[in-house]
Amino acid sequence: MSERALNKAESPALEAWRIFRRNVPALIGVVILTVIVLATLYGSFIYTGDAFEIVWAPHEPPGVTPDFPLGTDYLGRSVVAGMLTGGGPTLAVGAAAAAITMVIGVTLGALAGFHGGWVDNLLMRITEFFQVLPALLFAMVLVTLFSPSLLTIAIAIGVVSWPQTARLTRAEFLKVKELEYVTAARAIGARDARIIWKVILPNAAPPLIVSATLTIGVAILFEAGLSFLGLGDPNVMSWGLMIGANRDYILDAWWPVTFPGLAIFLTVFAVSLIGDGLNDAFNPKMRER
Amino acid sequence: MAPLLCIEKLRVTFRTRYGEVTALDSISMHVNEGETLGVVGESGCGKSITALATMGLIPSPPGRIADGSIQLAGEELIGANSARLRKLRGGDIAMIFQEPMTSLNPVFTVGDQIAEAITLHQNVSADRAFTDAVALLDRVGIPSPDRRARDYPHQLSGGMRQRVMIAMAVSCRPKVLIADEPTTALDVTVQAQIFDLLNEIQRDFGAAIILITHDMGAISEMADRVAVMYAGRVIEEGSADSILDQPQHPYARGLIDCIPTLGRAERTLKEIPGVVPPLHLLGAGCAFAERCAFNDRARCTTEKPRLIDHGHHPAACHGVEESRL
Repeated sequence: MSERALNKAESPALEAWRIFRRNVPALIGVVILTVIVLATLYGSFIYTGDAFEIVWAPHEPPGVTPDFPLGTDYLGRSVVAGMLTGGGPTLAVGAAAAAITMVIGVTLGALAGFHGGWVDNLLMRITEFFQVLPALLFAMVLVTLFSPSLLTIAIAIGVVSWPQTARLTRAEFLKVKELEYVTAARAIGARDARIIWKVILPNAAPPLIVSATLTIGVAILFEAGLSFLGLGDPNVMSWGLMIGANRDYILDAWWPVTFPGLAIFLTVFAVSLIGDGLNDAFNPKMRER
Repeated sequence: MAPLLCIEKLRVTFRTRYGEVTALDSISMHVNEGETLGVVGESGCGKSITALATMGLIPSPPGRIADGSIQLAGEELIGANSARLRKLRGGDIAMIFQEPMTSLNPVFTVGDQIAEAITLHQNVSADRAFTDAVALLDRVGIPSPDRRARDYPHQLSGGMRQRVMIAMAVSCRPKVLIADEPTTALDVTVQAQIFDLLNEIQRDFGAAIILITHDMGAISEMADRVAVMYAGRVIEEGSADSILDQPQHPYARGLIDCIPTLGRAERTLKEIPGVVPPLHLLGAGCAFAERCAFNDRARCTTEKPRLIDHGHHPAACHGVEESRL
């Protein structure tokens, strides 16, 4: 097997990576996201402190007291602590929601596109049903129904965002399944499941990977939106929760709202840059450059 | 001895916006062990549908096998359950496709793809299958096969890819190998190499080959017997020598006249005027009547000619039938 690793032949994935790593905006996205992820993972080792603990006078502006470089919020809680501990849940919910979206969307889209006929009809009608529901409202209903926690929020976001992925997957499947190598795979006796997952899906994957990346960004915004509306998990600090809790005092103290807002913006921005970079990397027209 | 593969009165229909059209109109043909059957005709005559029907790969819907039987070594394939058909596909019957450029999955190495065909039908380890794949690549004449096995399809030329397709098709020693225009997409020198390879494969593996082509040159080089198809019917059938020397049906004659002869001073290449009529516009008469130079009989436009032996070999033409009476 080690001999195969020495192989000079470029797999499509390797080729995409070669293009991606020359894409400066995408690399900036990777750097930003890496910094944010590292900060949320290990930041609490450098700056210890409980984000919920009242540690100082309320509305201390940033840069005045060295212990609280980003100031304090309306209750006198450290904004830095909130930023560092609040990032993890935000990112985790975003990633989990995107994963749920992809699993539901790709599975249903693949089955609809592959089988066609009544299966396609049924699944697409279900998809449309979910698509016409106002997403944020539906997510709010789900979250209130099943008491807010990180898990229910992730599930709610996944449940409202899969239809687009399903439609994209279906469209890709409809395109790829007509190609001759799919018939050729049947001709060597491959079964349907194998054709779906091993023949069509890898060839339909590039736009799905791009969409998965962008879904993470959307899911993070969703989570922030839900927290802002007070539907986040009240026991877990998150950027959205910080914005939501401090929004009433924004004219007196801009910092407890602005910093988490900036963090959300940067995260989504970085994810979008990466998504665009992946899109270019998988686009055959970019190969020649 | 009963023929290895026997297609009897096969009728395949497709639902289209013009209603249900008959793509194959009770065609019969057979191929014996170790024999090569050439199936010729223009585009749209039903050659590829015949191949797909034999593989059990008619897209359904809109396609449907309406009637008839396909027997492989006595076993009926029409109506056989899907697990059994999967076992046969790639196992006992294998197929080589027209377009080597698009018939290979672009995201896997060719070695992996051949190995996959092997593991689908034989109970061997992945490593063993890959070793076998390399051996097969060597067998089909691909230089440094152990390196090429790790190449992706886009790194190989058309001829090489067709060799890969052949390697994949013969990986499980099929009894019947269907080659659907295997050389159409390749240039002439490569065509000759592929035909040589198919001949060798047939000698070594003892497979029956069904060669689908519109190239009479390929027929003369490869085929033992020939079935000429036109608009979903077999209109002439016989040994390759007999058909090449004494084509009966005007269409078969036309096809053979189309072969340019080296050394003869021809200013323009001969052709058969017109095109195959759309299947939904087929009338009651002979499907070829409109393009035929000998369509002076009333029967030609009112009655479908039957495939009858008129001396040399069976042909479906009123003109031939009457001149023999």
